[in-house]
Amino acid sequence: MERKRKKSETIAGSGELTPAEEKRVLRARAKALAREPDEAETGESLEVLEFLLAYETYAVEMSYVRETLPLRDLTPVPCTPPFVLGLTNVRGRIMSVIDIKRFFDLPAKGLTELNRVIIVHDRGMEFGILADAICGVRTIPLAELQPSLPTLTGIREEYLRGVTSGRTVVLDGAKLIGDRKIIVHEEIED
Amino acid sequence: MTSDFNKRLVATFRVETKERLAAISAGLIELEQEGVEEKRREIVEAVFREAHSLKGAARAVSMSGIESLCHAMESVFTILKQQQGAPSPALFDLLHRAIDFIDRRLLPVDAEPDPAGKSRVRELVLSLEKAVAGAPAAPPPPSPAAREYPPQEKASPADTVRISAGRLDSVLRQAEEMVTAKLAARQRAVELGEVSAALAVWEKEWKKVRPALRQARKARAAMAREDQAGPLGKLLEFCEWSHSTIKSLEGRVAQLATAAAGDRHTLGGMVDTLLDDLKEALMLPCATVLAGLPRMARDLAREQGKEVELAVSGETVEIDRRVLEELKDPLIHLIRNSVDHGIEKPAARRLRNKAERGRITVTVSLLDSGRIEIVVGDDGGGMDPARLAEAAIRQGIVPPDGAGRLGEEELLELAFRSGLSTSPLITDISGRGLGLAIVREKVENLGGTVTLLSAPGSGTTFRMVLPLTLSTFRGVLVRAGDQTLVVPAAGVETVARIPGSALRTVENRETVELGGKAVSFARLADLLQIPRTGKGGDDGLIPLFVIGSGARRIAIGVDAILDEQEVLVKSLGPQLSRVRNIAGATVLGTGRIATILHPGDLLKSAVKGAGLPSAAAHSAERGEAPRKSVLIVEDSITARTLLKNILESAGYRTSSAVDGIDALTQLKTEEIDLVVSDVDMPRLNGFELTARIRAARELAELPVVLVTSLDSREDRERGVEAGANAYIVKSSFDQSNLLEVVKRLI
Repeated sequence: MERKRKKSETIAGSGELTPAEEKRVLRARAKALAREPDEAETGESLEVLEFLLAYETYAVEMSYVRETLPLRDLTPVPCTPPFVLGLTNVRGRIMSVIDIKRFFDLPAKGLTELNRVIIVHDRGMEFGILADAICGVRTIPLAELQPSLPTLTGIREEYLRGVTSGRTVVLDGAKLIGDRKIIVHEEIED
Repeated sequence: MTSDFNKRLVATFRVETKERLAAISAGLIELEQEGVEEKRREIVEAVFREAHSLKGAARAVSMSGIESLCHAMESVFTILKQQQGAPSPALFDLLHRAIDFIDRRLLPVDAEPDPAGKSRVRELVLSLEKAVAGAPAAPPPPSPAAREYPPQEKASPADTVRISAGRLDSVLRQAEEMVTAKLAARQRAVELGEVSAALAVWEKEWKKVRPALRQARKARAAMAREDQAGPLGKLLEFCEWSHSTIKSLEGRVAQLATAAAGDRHTLGGMVDTLLDDLKEALMLPCATVLAGLPRMARDLAREQGKEVELAVSGETVEIDRRVLEELKDPLIHLIRNSVDHGIEKPAARRLRNKAERGRITVTVSLLDSGRIEIVVGDDGGGMDPARLAEAAIRQGIVPPDGAGRLGEEELLELAFRSGLSTSPLITDISGRGLGLAIVREKVENLGGTVTLLSAPGSGTTFRMVLPLTLSTFRGVLVRAGDQTLVVPAAGVETVARIPGSALRTVENRETVELGGKAVSFARLADLLQIPRTGKGGDDGLIPLFVIGSGARRIAIGVDAILDEQEVLVKSLGPQLSRVRNIAGATVLGTGRIATILHPGDLLKSAVKGAGLPSAAAHSAERGEAPRKSVLIVEDSITARTLLKNILESAGYRTSSAVDGIDALTQLKTEEIDLVVSDVDMPRLNGFELTARIRAARELAELPVVLVTSLDSREDRERGVEAGANAYIVKSSFDQSNLLEVVKRLI
């Protein structure tokens, strides 16, 4: 303990601190940390999972994300639309995996790695979205979200929560997952 | 009905009756105390339903006393439903007495059918009927029988437990998951066997070099002492050490393989027993579905002024509850169909020298371990192929000149077409032409088949073959293109291999001769619209399987028939709610997923001609110029798949490698015209791979295209330095520039 304090003093290089002074400094720090954050800082915010897809950063609300996992195998399903990439085995469960870029009809921009699966779910619906990489979980203040710039992404407005100043495209999880167009239901007519 | 089955049925009925009586009695007590009109109504509704269900159950086991009492109670409750105000206590007494009577006198096993009991039933029914008629409940005749409370049966610990079917289903599903574990154990055992075999090869090689080793040892012994510790000595020592180490590993692997085989055996046995027991627990006798049919047939016939008797046999055969559930509709449709169209009116029957009363038989029998056969036959007029053809032409299903060429079997097949009905009259359900289409769809969704036999004048017979259980079945594993798919074995009539020359084109459709009959032929890859690899069997034989039945048979060609194994069906998940030609998916022993084909859909696809090979595909396959082959080296499977698709759709043959080392191995054994490689890869990256290719004498001229996410001048230079012919940056990648580059190079 003694040695530790000495070390910190030498690092700080601010000469001697009496125990009383030290206490005062620590208390001030604690107070600063304990202070209620400003309204502007908290406001309402979204906890999102950010991921990379075709050299762009997307995000989806954490509440829709069940888990993420590396893509180990992918079994194509014949007779499905191109946005359905196939099936993957998640601990014995079968999960369909889709490419949201193709679903949104975005031009294929470059060749991408697509090595991670983000499993999203909402009201009984569940599927995997392929991503190049997962960036991590972030909290975005709602105030920071601006409506999409039409030139920025090709995704139609209805699927967007907005775009951050850092140009992360925040998807509207409920709209995307609940979209009927994402469900494949095709029977053969007689 | 066998007496054993009957006993079991009665036992079940007793359990049910006890419960229902308890519910009615509790309901009555509650009703008497309830002041709120609305609540009362709810209670009456509930006890009404209980009495009604009990009545039905009693009828099923022919307990007429209970049935008539329940019927009378039901009528009372019907009145109570419409009545305002609380019923009189006297009525409650009467109802309670009826319940007690059922419980104490009619239910016990040893209840002798004594005349006193019968008259008492009549008495009770009469009082209840009076109550319905509005008369004040007759003053209860003090009946000694009702007052004598026989000593309560000792409450024996229940030997039956009620579990909701949903929970049992979920337990069964979990147990079925164990099939995956069993398959995995089998896979491990096979893999360990392969390791053992590889070690045996090593052993053989080792024996070959033994003489050389002996010589070397001799040479070493002849050496001076200091030289013995030299490089040759060290090598010899290492050789001996390696030999003993590998030998001991070999022993351990052999042990492991034996243990794995043992585990596989034990686990397999345990899983099979568990599953069998659970499935059995979920099996119900067909009687539960068949019981209502005779009555239904009779009622339907009466409506139409016909007389019909329906005889059921095989009601003790037990089937998976889920299959049974799905069978209700097809059976109802078939019987409606027989009554409406099959059985003639009494007068017409007399003319044909038949008994006035028509006869429908429903026969259930076990075919083999996994399948049952249900035959619904009638002795009516049969289906007239000519009338079917007429109707089909009228409704535009068959071109007017087409019907003449159809055989009788094919004409009867028309009956299953949706929208086709020979009946000029639209009845309740049948006659709209949907009935038989629904039957076929339901049966095929269960993985079964349905066929129709007709003898004009003497009757129609429908034969359904169905799997006994739903979620696990035997499946045939086939390969088409680069996909492994599963065909439910119940839907497969036969598998065969035919020489390519056996294919004949008839009216622009390929056919094949099987068992002396021409059968349409389609390739699975074409039906599923997946790229053909063009690789048939090495011997030029085309493997195929035959699905469908009767005139609706089709031979489906695949690249290989791999195996037959137990398969656990899983759904494709909520997002893929229904996919054409695909019924579900399963996890193979290797952990990989295979999709399960939908035989019914495949038949439709084939009929629609989706399976007709395009002219282009044909010429590509038979084209003179052999297709150029490209090796794709990429560690990301999606990028690999994407590149593969782009190149294959441009007509190249592709093979793929997961990294540089893998690529080098393949280049040694296969004829490759060009390599497309990623740069960032484990083990051996794209630059190193290019350098190694350039260094190899026989590969030095092989064009290499690097595709990379590294977009810097240095990297580009490094790529050129290594000897790459082209360098495509992923961020600016699009398929046209890749194809252009590839085309320029080969």
